[in-house]
Amino acid sequence: MTKLVRLLVSCTVAAALFLPISGSAEEGKQVYYWVSHGSPSDPVWTYFLQGAEQWAKDTGNTVHTSFHSGDVPSHQEAIRAAISAHARGIVTSTPDPGSLTKVISEAHAAGIPVIIMNTEDKTSGRDAYVGGDNIAIGHRWAQYLVDHDFVKKGDFVWMPVEVPGATYQKLETEGIDSVFKPLGITYEVTEAKLDQAEIITRMSDYLTANRSKIKAIIGLGDLVTGSIKRVFDQVRVKAGDIPVVGWGNSPDTAQEVIDGYVNAAMWQDPQATSYMALSMASMAASNIPIGFDISVGTLYEKAKAPTYLKVLQGASHK
Amino acid sequence: MRLLQKIFSSAEFGPLILLIGEIVVFTTLSPAFLSAGNISNLLAFTPELGMITLGMTLLMIAGEFDLSVGSVFGFAPVLMWTCYNTHFTSLFVGFLIAMGVAALIGFANGWLVTRLKIPSFLVTLGMLLVVRGTALYLTSGFPQRTWSATSFLTNAIAGEFPVGELRIYTSLLWFVGLAILSGYVLTETKTGNWIQASGGNPEAARARGVRVNRTKIMLFVLTAIISAYAGITSSIRVFAANPNSGTSYELEVIAMVVIGGTALSGGRGSIIGTVIGVLILRVMRNGIVLIGVPGLAYNIFIGAIILGMMALHSWLERRHYAR
Repeated sequence: MTKLVRLLVSCTVAAALFLPISGSAEEGKQVYYWVSHGSPSDPVWTYFLQGAEQWAKDTGNTVHTSFHSGDVPSHQEAIRAAISAHARGIVTSTPDPGSLTKVISEAHAAGIPVIIMNTEDKTSGRDAYVGGDNIAIGHRWAQYLVDHDFVKKGDFVWMPVEVPGATYQKLETEGIDSVFKPLGITYEVTEAKLDQAEIITRMSDYLTANRSKIKAIIGLGDLVTGSIKRVFDQVRVKAGDIPVVGWGNSPDTAQEVIDGYVNAAMWQDPQATSYMALSMASMAASNIPIGFDISVGTLYEKAKAPTYLKVLQGASHK
Repeated sequence: MRLLQKIFSSAEFGPLILLIGEIVVFTTLSPAFLSAGNISNLLAFTPELGMITLGMTLLMIAGEFDLSVGSVFGFAPVLMWTCYNTHFTSLFVGFLIAMGVAALIGFANGWLVTRLKIPSFLVTLGMLLVVRGTALYLTSGFPQRTWSATSFLTNAIAGEFPVGELRIYTSLLWFVGLAILSGYVLTETKTGNWIQASGGNPEAARARGVRVNRTKIMLFVLTAIISAYAGITSSIRVFAANPNSGTSYELEVIAMVVIGGTALSGGRGSIIGTVIGVLILRVMRNGIVLIGVPGLAYNIFIGAIILGMMALHSWLERRHYAR
């Protein structure tokens, strides 16, 4: 037992001696916190993360990052930790509408600006928003299918999503519903999960069972849209047989647009979103008032897809 | 000297040293770690997971475990707030309905495990999916609004009050009270003996008149009720009742209990150890965000500490039997 105690005490002392050195490396730097409600296994969030890391590198500031996979208590705890650590600024996404209102007011009371990225919550009291408008994006997908005569009254649209109930799904569905409901177009949201193999299996099963009634597909997340080619190949559906729109923040989807599996995909510019959000946090911390939000999002088709594929491949190869 | 030896040889000593080591390291790295704001922050979420671990500890000592606690944690508040937001019932009646349904879920788990002799792993895994699916179906994936309702009930469950510079939630008091009660029941009552006997050697316990099945069913019900209560507490505190809440909590809760010294095989464990286990993982999660461990490396630390504790336990156990 004595040996064990000695070992534990030695480890603690060693850590205590070493850690101030690593701590002192951050002295003089401004510390920002970047808090994501996304999952670290979701590829699109790696692009968001790269934007934050690039901003830290370019500005010489320190950015502490964390992922919380939609867990609201854990997300709130991270923001409160940032407040306790006297962060210069906080950039966060929103796990649920209303869930950050209180912690944002606490951050403001401590003089810390809070910029929301990726998932908007207008009533939260945030200083600014950088990202897409998920309701507008859902509306654009649905309108694209209607405008190109891919769907009409009485048709059925399949909308797979990684995590039903996630904020992005709820808001996108709201936008889609605003177009489809008046036109009498029905839809169903199905769960695909976050694991690539499971996504392909679940989507293939659903497509096999419902092939005849599905007139179009809207991929509500990046993983599901990026799996369309593999699902179509497995179920033996040819590229273009079923019109598809959805998210386009992954190299897989950009390639699918080029190959004709996906008709149009939404580019959210995740790296730029993080980069701009941290810049805005820095501005606000320097008492430069922010009277505007930054909106991102482009629906790209085959002609522009190579541009985004190049960006995405460059990012993923770093 | 004997007291020191007793402390050193207790199952809780290893986790306690680890907890102290964690606090020293994080305080050295970030002076803000021991600030009033951060301690308040730590004490906000800890009771919610902590309460579930109390039920899980008793259940695991009795030789079973429950994988559906996370989904009950998400489902119960969704049910309560749906009843309230649709004007179906008052908040209090919604609360009682949610707790009643949770008790039924626990009873179903216990009945299936003890009567049909299906391993608790399979029963509660199935129940996890049923309950999570029901929450999603009930809400169509949409969260329930919670922030418009402030009442005596919400204040009693998760109201906040200042203690000096600290912001304390009433849930902490409930957690402390439940921990003391659980510890007392486990160590000082006949029920506690039955729980330990049910997990240690069920056949011998039956032969001595212990109602093993009834004890296990009671513990499944208790665990489900506590999980539901913890979920409702969380929904009030964080202003969100999402059908996906509590995802993967079951594994975190089991890890906390095991880190605290409870044997996965049953028959042995303590409430004090579990409380230390809860603090170890909560302090770790809080501290690594505070000091800026890269987001993608987050789980490395959690996994490493679980492995480290398991290694320590194995070593202590071998030493104990070698004597």
